[in-house]
Amino acid sequence: MSYVFRRVGQAVIVLLAAFTGAFILLQALPGDAIMIKFENPELGLSADQIQNIRLSYGIDTPLVIQYVHTLAGFITGDFGYSINSGTAVRSLLAEVLPQTARLAVLGFLAAALLAVGIAFASTFSRFGWLRKFLRNLPSLFISVPVFWLGIMLIQIFSFKLGLIPAVGAGPAQALILPVATLAVPIAAPLAQVLTRSIDEINAQPFIAVVQAKGAPPGWILWRNVAKNAVLPTLTIAGVLFGELIAGAVVTETVFGRAGIGRLTEQAVASQDTPVLQAIVILSASVFVLVNLTVDLLYPLLDPRLKTKVGAAT
Amino acid sequence: MARTKRSKFLLAGVAIVAAASLVAGCSTSSASSDGASTGEPKTGGTLTYLEHQPHTGLYPPTAGFYPNGGLVNNITDRLVYQNPESLKFEPWIATSWKVNDDATEYTFKLRDGVTFSDGSPLDATVVAKNFDLYGSGDPKRALIVSEAINNYDRSEVVDSSTVKFHFTRPSPGFLQATSTINSGLLSSKTLDRKFEDYGAGNSKDIIGSGPFVITDEKVGTELTLAARKDYDWAPPSAEHQGRAYLDTIKLIVTPEDSVRVGSLVAGQADVVRNVEAQDEKQVEAKGLEVYAPQTKGVNNSLNLRFRHPFLSDLKVRQALVAGTNRQEVVDTIYSPKYPLATSALSKSAEGYKDQSAHLAYDPDKAAQLLDAAGWKAGSDGIREKNGKKLTLVVNEAAPQPRSFEALTLISQQWKKIGVDLKILKADAGTYAEAILDKDQVQVYHSMVGRADPDVIKSQFYSKNRNTLLNFEAKSNSVGDKKLEKLLEGVAGEPDEKKRIANDQAVQDYLAEQSYVIPLFEEPQVYGAANHVKGLGFESVARPSFYGVWLDK
Repeated sequence: MSYVFRRVGQAVIVLLAAFTGAFILLQALPGDAIMIKFENPELGLSADQIQNIRLSYGIDTPLVIQYVHTLAGFITGDFGYSINSGTAVRSLLAEVLPQTARLAVLGFLAAALLAVGIAFASTFSRFGWLRKFLRNLPSLFISVPVFWLGIMLIQIFSFKLGLIPAVGAGPAQALILPVATLAVPIAAPLAQVLTRSIDEINAQPFIAVVQAKGAPPGWILWRNVAKNAVLPTLTIAGVLFGELIAGAVVTETVFGRAGIGRLTEQAVASQDTPVLQAIVILSASVFVLVNLTVDLLYPLLDPRLKTKVGAAT
Repeated sequence: MARTKRSKFLLAGVAIVAAASLVAGCSTSSASSDGASTGEPKTGGTLTYLEHQPHTGLYPPTAGFYPNGGLVNNITDRLVYQNPESLKFEPWIATSWKVNDDATEYTFKLRDGVTFSDGSPLDATVVAKNFDLYGSGDPKRALIVSEAINNYDRSEVVDSSTVKFHFTRPSPGFLQATSTINSGLLSSKTLDRKFEDYGAGNSKDIIGSGPFVITDEKVGTELTLAARKDYDWAPPSAEHQGRAYLDTIKLIVTPEDSVRVGSLVAGQADVVRNVEAQDEKQVEAKGLEVYAPQTKGVNNSLNLRFRHPFLSDLKVRQALVAGTNRQEVVDTIYSPKYPLATSALSKSAEGYKDQSAHLAYDPDKAAQLLDAAGWKAGSDGIREKNGKKLTLVVNEAAPQPRSFEALTLISQQWKKIGVDLKILKADAGTYAEAILDKDQVQVYHSMVGRADPDVIKSQFYSKNRNTLLNFEAKSNSVGDKKLEKLLEGVAGEPDEKKRIANDQAVQDYLAEQSYVIPLFEEPQVYGAANHVKGLGFESVARPSFYGVWLDK
């Protein structure tokens, strides 16, 4: 139990550090959102008018007070307002989060399926040429630009074949191509790690023992190989979360989907500090949470880790 | 004694209405090409409209941003209608108006029976409230002043259907200002909102009296507009009266160019905004319509910031003008929809005066001028003087079409005369600071669309866009007082003829001083399916869906 508490305490410290880091960095950048928005010559405002607006935004408030104010807001769940559009950051996030979550979870599941399929087929297929081909597939997948892939899928399945409309598709239909686009680059490293683990485990003496005892290949695969190969794959899966978000930026832009990726891109473009601050904290929270989950899952999957953890606490 | 212009205006109005209905008949049929007169307009249907960027807010003074303007234009009405062809003013919500001699008092008579979509009446009180906000702004709520309204003092409600506006100094551009989307009329309740409450996510609550109402919004990606069934106050000169033909408009934000154009070509979208010059052929090849309404203001130009030591020499500026092959830029980077600019102002702008004589391409002359100015070619071909290289920085103007490509070509052209042009591509914060500093950006790429002679003042005047950085905050000084005076003569001259003459004097002066290198007359390029009829545009090319019907 104290292990769990310590891990949660660490998570809170990481989040506070992320918040402070983001606050300082965003303050240090040249310019600010108010300047970018209102000093834009295209609005044709005079210097006095801009100064009045800046004052109404509390630009003369000391940084320390701004920091405390923002932090207090975050703790109470008030993320402030986007300077670019004036929309409450909370409602912006509420709008995009479920969209990205759906895309990310489905994209990840599809990637996992694809990776497992490739890894198993490339180790156990009876045809040598197929094994060779499948083993090279991840390198091909990883070198395909997500951007290009998305556009190609739209061009072929939407514009050429007319199977899925690019605009105005139903919510489920609209997910097919983005999920496929996202799954490919995520599947590549997963498949590579999984294939290697299977190879390594296959070479272990205990497999030979099990084989000698007359176990059928399917039994060995599920009972012995897969169970052991999944651990390194899980580790990389945690890290791939970052990749997932990066892929979402591109995928959401190409497919015109609302989502955290596109929101980030727009917020960066206009240096919309309140939005960026909220996104940093949100990403950090999810990252911390994913890693926490992976850490807590290890002992369940590998009894040896359980004893180690037990000894440490 | 204030001379009444009303009778004159009314007479003109009648003549214009008559002429306009003829013109409108021809122009819409020519604009929407072959099919406009082939059938009777049909009521009903949904139009799918693909936008390039999400809108950021519906406060009318910020409607200059195209995605905002495209919405404001369809959900609000204006006091006065500016005919986009003739640029003349016609009645709309105001049935008539009076302007005093020195253009410091404007009186508008309002149409009866107009309501906002929340049911509240559009009367003199609410009109006064609209312009009090747009004319003065409200910094406490972060609501800005409208760039189009100058010298605003106060409003006066004479009676329920008469409203009068007072100005501290002559404000001849005000009548046009009342016709722009920056002056879209909003309901009283909407005007009480803070800047935050105009932002994305609140669009359903922005209430105008226009032919469409926003009924649904998915932040950043989708909007639904529905026709107001009881709409009955289109400009009297409009061909179509009553409710809009369409039932609904589905606006979908599709940032990726190839997807937007692909959807149109594949028949999945009806109208798309921002067809890039290189994609026009793809659309035309399918027999679809490409519309390129002009923005009718200050042309897409390079502004030479003459207070920088390198550019303070007239000879250097003249050399840059002569060293720019503008025709090559238009031919290589753009399409015939982007006509070569011949002045700081567009040909279709009021008061335009041809300055071609000052803008000819002559690299030999450019080299001679630079020699004469003391800039000698260095070992790498770049000219030098007093140990300094002739290096200039230009900003990439992201909102404008193919800015980077055009600037890249121009930098190659300038290299031939020994000038090194660097292109600034930066993050938003760095960019925002750099363009306001002549030591960082000496050549400023920009344009502005507004169909009034005031537009030239908007662009160059020290208290507006100040694109030449004639006013410098650091030294709190104006570099060229003559230019300032000429610009004040455009914004403050009540006599229309003199105002046009003053406008032309500014163009002459800009050309003589080689302050700007105009590149092309900027259009907004839209693509539309053949079954889309009656697509219209206001005077600076924002789409109007009021007269649109679907022939399918």
